[in-house]
Amino acid sequence: MFRHSSRLALLLFAASLGLAGPGAASASPQAPARAPTSAPWDARAAEHLLNRAAFGATGVEVDAAIALGREAFLARLFTGTGRPRPAFELSQPERPSREERRAMSEEERRRTYQRLRRADNEQLLSYTGWWFDGMVSDEHPLRERMVLFWHGFFTSSAREVKNGEAMIRQNQLFRAHALGSYAELLHAIVRDPAMLVYLNNTKNTRAAPNENLARELMELFSLGEGHYTEQDVKEAARALTGYTQLDANFVFNRRQHDGGTKTVLGVTGELDADKLVDILLAQDACPRWVAGKLLEHFEGRVPPAPRVERYAKVLRAANWRIDAFLGTLFDDPEFYSPEVVGQRIVGPVEFMVANCRRLEVLPPGGVLAAGASLLGQQVFGPPNVKGWDGGRAWITTSTFLQRGNIAGMLLGVTRLEDIFKEDPDLFGAEDSTMEPAMDDESMGGDEPMEPAPGPAGSTGTEGGRKPRQDLGGGRGVSAGLRLMEAPRWRRELDLRGRLKACGAGLDAELVDQLGKDLLAVELSPEARQALVEYLRAERTARDIAEGRLLDQRAYGEAILRQLAHLILSLPEAQLN
Amino acid sequence: MTLDRRQLLGAAGLLAGQALLAPRAQGAVRLSASPLFTSEVPRTLVLLQLAGGNDGLSTVVPYADDAYGRARRATRIETRDLLKLDDYRGLHPSLPRLKALHDAGKLAIVEGAGYPTPIRSHFKSYEVWHTADLRGRGAGEGWVGKLVGAAWPENRDPNLVLHIGKNVPYSLYSLTHPAASFATPTGYKWAGDVASRAALERGGEVCEHGEQELEREPANNLEYLRKVLRDGQASSETIRKAAVRYRTKTAYPDDELAQALRDVAALSVGQIGSRVFSVELSGFDTHSDQKNRHDALMARLDAALPTFLADLAGTEAGRQTVVVAFSEFGRRVRENGSGGTDHGVAGPMFVAGEAVRGGLYGKHPSLENLDDGDLIHTTDFRSVYATLIQSWFGVDAQRVLGAKYPLLPLFKA
Repeated sequence: MFRHSSRLALLLFAASLGLAGPGAASASPQAPARAPTSAPWDARAAEHLLNRAAFGATGVEVDAAIALGREAFLARLFTGTGRPRPAFELSQPERPSREERRAMSEEERRRTYQRLRRADNEQLLSYTGWWFDGMVSDEHPLRERMVLFWHGFFTSSAREVKNGEAMIRQNQLFRAHALGSYAELLHAIVRDPAMLVYLNNTKNTRAAPNENLARELMELFSLGEGHYTEQDVKEAARALTGYTQLDANFVFNRRQHDGGTKTVLGVTGELDADKLVDILLAQDACPRWVAGKLLEHFEGRVPPAPRVERYAKVLRAANWRIDAFLGTLFDDPEFYSPEVVGQRIVGPVEFMVANCRRLEVLPPGGVLAAGASLLGQQVFGPPNVKGWDGGRAWITTSTFLQRGNIAGMLLGVTRLEDIFKEDPDLFGAEDSTMEPAMDDESMGGDEPMEPAPGPAGSTGTEGGRKPRQDLGGGRGVSAGLRLMEAPRWRRELDLRGRLKACGAGLDAELVDQLGKDLLAVELSPEARQALVEYLRAERTARDIAEGRLLDQRAYGEAILRQLAHLILSLPEAQLN
Repeated sequence: MTLDRRQLLGAAGLLAGQALLAPRAQGAVRLSASPLFTSEVPRTLVLLQLAGGNDGLSTVVPYADDAYGRARRATRIETRDLLKLDDYRGLHPSLPRLKALHDAGKLAIVEGAGYPTPIRSHFKSYEVWHTADLRGRGAGEGWVGKLVGAAWPENRDPNLVLHIGKNVPYSLYSLTHPAASFATPTGYKWAGDVASRAALERGGEVCEHGEQELEREPANNLEYLRKVLRDGQASSETIRKAAVRYRTKTAYPDDELAQALRDVAALSVGQIGSRVFSVELSGFDTHSDQKNRHDALMARLDAALPTFLADLAGTEAGRQTVVVAFSEFGRRVRENGSGGTDHGVAGPMFVAGEAVRGGLYGKHPSLENLDDGDLIHTTDFRSVYATLIQSWFGVDAQRVLGAKYPLLPLFKA
């Protein structure tokens, strides 16, 4: 196993090591009780758990986990390090009272609400940064992972909700219930202001029912399609009438609630939201649906049907507790089988967070959020109510290349403007890579070619494609990415020091060491060979003897960062 | 029935043969970019997904039906504002340019398109539209994936099927021919100077070792990733080159759909080897405040699609391009009381292009004879697919779709 000393990694894990006594960990009241297990406990198992239950780990952290012992490590996984970060201080805006509003001129009113909206957006952005900081920290990675899971499961999007405070409160709801009871969370979600807005339940009234929440509650949040009828949707919508919100607070509007008799899934009564949720929880389809989603997330594959069946029973027996469910899963030898380990395509948020952890850099959380957004996972902005598809859908021809670019930015070897701007030589003229047949005439349509625009990205004639300064991710994304260029946080990055400390020196050793430290899976022999050749060529060009690269202070670090960039751009870097 | 492809290869002759042997990135460009083949520009299909469930009754409005006025209050469009197609139906007032296309005989409207036992879930209904199979994803590949596998089995050009936008739709899902995709061409590349890009491309080159494994369905995620990386590297430069060099003839608005169609035009004219393009206009899930939202969406559609067709007009690529717009379902006939409409069933499809025989197809669904408050579809949407597969691409539709559907005379003889 890889060992090296790293100031940052030690800082990150110092507390957990210091309090590492098994007694201290098992004394925690919240760790679920677990039966003895035949699941393995070695470096492979520890790293697998750190990849899947946390956000990846360096060799130091894997070593620390093994030293801690399986029981203590798992206990700590479920309770966190016990060193909480400062909570996010949610500030509530001072909204003008009805009288004040009336006293305002139209212009004053417009300006007041514009200011409130801007402050609300700003607050959501800083909360996003705070959340990502939490994912990178060792405070409670499994909880943060579950918050992300619930955000994808019970989706709401700030684009539709248009209220940052409500989005933050929803996220805090996920945080409070992250490893707790799914049943409690389901009861809470039908009262969640952001959800009520997102799925139009604020418009769902006795006189004019709106089915949106009722349908998604059954289709996506509890049962899955095919386990209810259209009539059930209509009746469930009636049960949810009057559940609304005001200024990000839940309101039950009794006058809008339909108190009449409804029949949902064969149960008849004067159903309200809680009774409806209890009916859903009583269905056999419900634990199957939730267990299937959890298994898919943690195992990275569509679970085989018998496995879903088994874990549906686990969930029911655990009285819907997620910590107990995961405790069983992490004790399951099948979770450590070759079909599971290293076979999962990591999502963009994970890609960002895990690479920071492995590189031992701590960029501002907003930077990570922007990177994840560019790669297809904008938190607080899921593509639709189903959340992110995940798995292979994360990787397209373009997001793959973009992952490499973002990894390059984390390492400081790729500049933002390199991603933004089009190559000047693409515009024609001195391009020598093309066949003569592919000349300007055949490319330019009916009009003659214009002189090539400059590299500043001022492309095109009128009606041409405008350069996208926001990279398609919105203003916050661009701002976050620009922060990535700020050098301050990258000072922690010291690949040369790390490799030196563990005694690597020869080209192959450097490749192996860095590959091991940055990747969750083994480097393929072909890729390894190509990387060794790359190092050799770079060294030879500079006339540096093999084994002496780390003696070069600046150049050594620069070339190792290039090497790390190549490694993080490989197919292997997308798996864990 | 891959006759047209064989004919093309025959005409292309030696060069085509060379292209097949050449590395893929350049191969595709050489074959199609040569002016020798301008008369052999291959037929292409542009799929335009109106995501979220477009309200058909507000798109092709049955104004003469009293039931329309009874069912619709907040979302009702006044008769005098409609762009009348005949004495029964009119197009949404924000679609004047589509109306002009219709009048010029270049826009076909297939009314009441849907399928039996409709599903009102966005995702499941999309799966039906994307697989052309009522089982959805359980049926395997997407319908375009199946088409590509049947029509061009040996064509490994990574640009063969292209999605421009964020989320690749399931219709393009193929075990053997995965679609390439990008949101904006500029960001579709390894960033950096020549040296660092060359180094990065080595990472892709080491993926070349398993040529055999890349020809079949990826056995695991690592194989899948290798294939995608190789395709991405091969397609990135071709696409950016064509996109950046293209000069439009019409002014496209600064709108996501319009800009995506602008790229489709660039890549069609640039002849980079693409046969199917996919783009999306989303926001149609109008449970509330439908009037404003739907009006704006119709205006965006009208600003984008006709601009694209006008841009291609008169070019060989234009003659060889057909656009099909569809949505996963229509909305309920009766409004929901939030000024919107809930998930419904059948709706109209648009088929547009130089080769299209414009006019009305199918039948407007009855507003009286409803199924539990929903329209009953009059044309199976798979008839449109079958027509595209058979009449446009010259491929046996039954083989692709697994069943026989009546063809529609959507194309000029």
